[in-house]
Amino acid sequence: MDYVVAVLLPQLLHGLVFGAALGLLALGLTVIFGLLGVMNFAHGELYMLGAYAGITVIGVVHSFWVALIVAPLLVGALAVVTEVATLRPVYHREPLYGLILTFGLALIFREGARQIWGGDMRRILPPVTGSTPILGMTYPNYRLFLLAISSVLLLAIWLFFTKTRAGILVRAAVQDAEMLDGLGVNVPRVFTLTFAGSAALAALAGLLLAPIFTVYPQMGVEMILLAFIVVILGGMGSISGSVVAAFVIGIAQSLLTLWLNPQRVAIAIFGIMIVVLIMRPRGFFGREGVLE
Amino acid sequence: MIGWRGLVAFGLLAALPLAPFMTKYYLLLTFDALLFGAIAMSLDLLMGYTGLVSFGHAAFYGLGAYATAIVLERGVLSLWACLGFALVVVGLYALIVSYFATGRRGIYFALLTLIFAEVVYTFFRYTQTFGGSDGIQGLPEAMLVPGVPIDTPLRKYYLVLGYLAFAYIVCRTVVHSHFGKVLVAIRENEDRARFLGYNVQRYKMAVCLVSALLTGLGGAIYPIRAAYATPDLMLWTESGEFIISVMIGGLGTLVGPIIGGAFFTILRDKVSSYVDWYFIVIGVVLVVIVLFMPRGLFRPWRATT
Repeated sequence: MDYVVAVLLPQLLHGLVFGAALGLLALGLTVIFGLLGVMNFAHGELYMLGAYAGITVIGVVHSFWVALIVAPLLVGALAVVTEVATLRPVYHREPLYGLILTFGLALIFREGARQIWGGDMRRILPPVTGSTPILGMTYPNYRLFLLAISSVLLLAIWLFFTKTRAGILVRAAVQDAEMLDGLGVNVPRVFTLTFAGSAALAALAGLLLAPIFTVYPQMGVEMILLAFIVVILGGMGSISGSVVAAFVIGIAQSLLTLWLNPQRVAIAIFGIMIVVLIMRPRGFFGREGVLE
Repeated sequence: MIGWRGLVAFGLLAALPLAPFMTKYYLLLTFDALLFGAIAMSLDLLMGYTGLVSFGHAAFYGLGAYATAIVLERGVLSLWACLGFALVVVGLYALIVSYFATGRRGIYFALLTLIFAEVVYTFFRYTQTFGGSDGIQGLPEAMLVPGVPIDTPLRKYYLVLGYLAFAYIVCRTVVHSHFGKVLVAIRENEDRARFLGYNVQRYKMAVCLVSALLTGLGGAIYPIRAAYATPDLMLWTESGEFIISVMIGGLGTLVGPIIGGAFFTILRDKVSSYVDWYFIVIGVVLVVIVLFMPRGLFRPWRATT
């Protein structure tokens, strides 16, 4: 019992926290994939830029909360420019070109960040300190806040896609962009705004996780691989699938670290993915023939 | 099999070390350029002819390099033992990856090859038997035949030239065979190829295997030039650089990616000696190519379709 409370429970909560943040990242990736047919290799870099933009904003206004609003907006604005200038011309081409284009963008963003902010590790102090006793243990307040805000955001995104007109337009564009265009909707604008939204979510995830992790130019590379696994596991383009898969991966990762060293954990996560793909080749919620 | 233009090109490359400006530095730079070009050409079999983008070719490359390093480290100095061991290791790994990856189309193929390669990278990066993040360093010179070590830059240069010629003949043979025609049919319309009775997955696995083995051979040659194998050879950015080379040269041309790979290697070498933000230059080159020159910078021959 002591083991459960002292070791297992905190680790399980860590997993939930990480899974929720990973969900924010993977959600943007899967929506962009479903909508634009582009697997965004630069998504991890948008996550990284969110953390760095946060550092800069905090440096100016000395408030984490202002940064939490401003940094995603800045990254979203960058995404609008990027989408209009580079991605828009390649939508009608084979998926290969989108893949390679975003790979190039990722190189530019990563090296750009290293030039602007330097290559060394940076930290952001958590805006909420202290810890709260729950379930017989004490748990850091910031992680509780992180869990709460990520869950609220995931819920808000779900409501956005199911209840609002804008969200339904995005889903309609995923189904049949040409038909939507025929109905008089400005489809390129839907694409641009969705891309900006997904970038802002990635930036938000980057800034929210920054007080737990460290901030460095390569931080996106590690996260994006996990996010890819989440998207594949959830079923490409499936919104609910990627949220479920994010929690599965988040919890699996943090529980496995109890018994395995970190590199074995990474390999075990790959193993989980392979087993799931053997049993369910299209992931948890993937449908036959969607976007292949 | 090579054609007269190919023979002239290889003749010029073979005579290149005679040029007065070919110092040791330029010989080794040319080695890297030709090695990169040959690997990009192997990748073109997948990308250009079959329409499959592999984001995991660095794993084939790195496994080949580690195979050589392990053989040399054990004191077995024969080049042929290195190459043979590399073929076995890379072949087994390629069978597993291609079985999973070719079951899926499009983006899935790219992501699955990427994730498998990342498993291999993680394994070598953290396994102390293979030197961890330092890799295997300080390898002895390999022997072409007993008593003839491949030690001077000139001998190394001719080794890579031999590899390039071999890889080119293999790729040409594949492309011009019935097998190659089926690959193009799969690229153009996979369902129709299936309706005609071709076992599409088997064809895809076969071409993956050919491409992986050629890439693995290239990897096996690398430690003979550099005397080390490190996990960085398997990093996914390395796979990205192979893809960039194919894109620069032009998809589905074989010769284009050789030039593209050589161009990329020399560009990286030259730009990185002037500025430390050469990744931005490379990224911009990539974006510009995709947007304005999707058929590649060089189109010496029209795409063989």
